[in-house]
Amino acid sequence: MKSLPNYLQAQRKRLALSQEEVGFLIGLIGLNKGTRVCRDETFAREPSLLDALAYEVVYGRPVRELFAGLHQQAQQRVAERAKVLSFRKARNSDPRRKQTIIQLAESASVNPKHHDSQ
Amino acid sequence: MTHNKLIRILAIAPTARGFGYVVMEGSSRLITFSNKSILKNKNKRTLVWVEKYIRRYEPAVLVLPAVNAADTRRAKRIKQLHQRLVGLATEHKLKVKLVTVTKVRERLLGQIKGNKQSQAEVLAGLFPLELAPRLPPKRKVWKSEDPRMDIFDAAGLAVAFWPK
Repeated sequence: MKSLPNYLQAQRKRLALSQEEVGFLIGLIGLNKGTRVCRDETFAREPSLLDALAYEVVYGRPVRELFAGLHQQAQQRVAERAKVLSFRKARNSDPRRKQTIIQLAESASVNPKHHDSQ
Repeated sequence: MTHNKLIRILAIAPTARGFGYVVMEGSSRLITFSNKSILKNKNKRTLVWVEKYIRRYEPAVLVLPAVNAADTRRAKRIKQLHQRLVGLATEHKLKVKLVTVTKVRERLLGQIKGNKQSQAEVLAGLFPLELAPRLPPKRKVWKSEDPRMDIFDAAGLAVAFWPK
């Protein structure tokens, strides 16, 4: 199953917070704090790194779990690029480098356990 | 139908006021839930909302109440809406699972007799963080049903979908 881009709404409802309150907590400014949180939750907007880290603090969950779909997507892309890199002939024949690239290339096939700990 | 633990389902409970919906991933993870009140063009607007949720949450299965089952009596409008929801699911290549009222009661209460309030209380116990704050007070005989009960109708369908 493909993960949703984020699980912000599930976490907010778990803590019984309103969108307006979450907007205030993560430091959004202006009258439309709730609207911006709503856009994050409905996948209409991707929050900035600072906002994502603030969500982590508010909900007490790691970013990779809150943004499971995005994490999965990033993981797949890195793995694809690692495969390309593994075919490239390197001047540096350090075994650690080889090991890292192999691990990254294989990471896409491993199903990430992002939200089992709820 | 095989029940893969890692599938996402969308349960819709059409009601006289609008509808309640629940999105679940696996049998114990509630992603989102709410109720929508629709005043005019109820069927048309419900379909618009449900399509929006299908696009947003990309569920594998649409869980609906079995409105034509022997243990159920529903309004003509709800039956028409149900038919159109099944059509919508087919359009989006979703599996449709119909759940009877009896099955929901058996699953939640362990018997075929019971009322909505007791079902809602069981659901609030199953999801104390998510659903317990939304549990409406027991209905007085002179009052109409609380709109929040729509959420519990949908949650009942969603929970009954998963095997014990």
